[in-house]
Amino acid sequence: MRLGMVIDLKRCIGCYGCQLACKAEHGTRPGTTYARIVKREWGEFPNVRKLSIPVLCMHCNEPPCVEVCPTGASQKRAADGIVFVESDYCVGCRACVMGCPYGARYFQDEPRDYFETGGNAYEQQLYAEHPRGVVEKCDFCRSRLARGEQPACSANCMCKARIFGDLDDPDSEVSRLIREEGGFQLNPELGTDPSVYYLPPDR
Amino acid sequence: MNLSKPLDVRSDPLDLRRQDLAQVYRPQREWIDGRGLLIVVAHFFSGIGAGAWLWSTLYDFDVGRWIAFACVVALSGIAHLAFLGRWDRFWRMLRRPHRSWISRGIWSIGVFALAASAGAHPAIAGSAAAPVLTGVSVVAACAILAYEGFVYAASKAIPFWRTRLLPTLYIAYGLRGGAALLLIAAASGVAGFDVATVETVKLWVIVSTGVLILLYLVAGSRAGGAARRSVSELVAGRISPAFYGGTIVVGIALPIAITLLRDTLGVPDRLLLGAIGATSLIGDFYVKYCIVKAGVYTPLVGATGIGSGRGAS
Repeated sequence: MRLGMVIDLKRCIGCYGCQLACKAEHGTRPGTTYARIVKREWGEFPNVRKLSIPVLCMHCNEPPCVEVCPTGASQKRAADGIVFVESDYCVGCRACVMGCPYGARYFQDEPRDYFETGGNAYEQQLYAEHPRGVVEKCDFCRSRLARGEQPACSANCMCKARIFGDLDDPDSEVSRLIREEGGFQLNPELGTDPSVYYLPPDR
Repeated sequence: MNLSKPLDVRSDPLDLRRQDLAQVYRPQREWIDGRGLLIVVAHFFSGIGAGAWLWSTLYDFDVGRWIAFACVVALSGIAHLAFLGRWDRFWRMLRRPHRSWISRGIWSIGVFALAASAGAHPAIAGSAAAPVLTGVSVVAACAILAYEGFVYAASKAIPFWRTRLLPTLYIAYGLRGGAALLLIAAASGVAGFDVATVETVKLWVIVSTGVLILLYLVAGSRAGGAARRSVSELVAGRISPAFYGGTIVVGIALPIAITLLRDTLGVPDRLLLGAIGATSLIGDFYVKYCIVKAGVYTPLVGATGIGSGRGAS
């Protein structure tokens, strides 16, 4: 099994709902955004386009972050291809941050709160899962998957722009969409073979 | 709890990260800004230390070996540990020498430290084991010189670094920095240094690595995309003052100028050697600083054909 995601750029309206859902799920501190939205404009008036491109860890089949990690903290789970960081092994050398072309990794050196008064009880509990001095990243919500749920970004997308499933299963919805709607990966020339695909906005 | 006072984004240092993530060409900051600068310092000291060890072994300079050892093990070691987010787990970096250049580098430094210190022990010096330990330390020093460049070249996301020219450049600058270190030691009149011998070493310093830098920049600009952007940052962008001032003027032009003007200056040879060594060392630091600082990531979106250009959030 190879878990992956298809993001329909025609459906995404850049509402940041996925970003908020991710924040609420993982309680990441300021500056750390596992699910972010890149917005790009191009063209000249009156022919101007604006596109919202949700970006997260691509859970590459050939992850460059895992390759350069000197400790083995960055790992790819054999069972489903999820790339994750074993924070107890991480020394914070940040080689994986240099190796990731997708800006999906965050180093938490000086943790801070959103408010001067600190986080509330819920935030403090989640902050404890983000130790200082190590690198962290999206893990496709492993804890939710273990409960049989979808990743938070996918489950909460109000436009149904994110579809999650098994890329190895030719009959899954993700495989069908990639096949029939022209799914593509970001930076395929780097040979990382991302597990996150995008459907073109013009189709 | 008072939640009425929102985060002041302007005063938040992490705002820079948010801005970077929105750019087409996102600069790398983890290995240069703040505590990240320590990795450049660490590589600077381990590079010149390994270079000085090789020259000292070649010319049999005992004091030079001690200086080299201090640079590699003490100064570089401390900088490496201080750079890490969790220095107390540094030993874990020994786990993956089969895959990671960082791991290979840590092994090289460890083997170097053991072989060099054992070889210097009075009980071993002069014994049959001494040449073997010297050989091991020389091999380890060569590995230290080589691994630094490969650490950067292994970063798939930063095209400016991803070339075999970078390890070559780091090796050349390590040897050059090592020679410069010995020149400073010779200038300070440390016993055991023969200035006449060091004159030969000086040739290496004068025949600077300028050509290599030029080749590196040409290769980067021809690679296009992010690598070309990095070259632009170096020669005409935010890093150009450090590049021209530190790398070109202080690191290359001044040592050459001092050598050419040595007869007209009427300054003692030792002082000239020291000046050449000091300027070369500054240049060595700046070349590493500038190359690391110039690293920008492969564009996330621009290369996909689904849109690039201005604006972001």
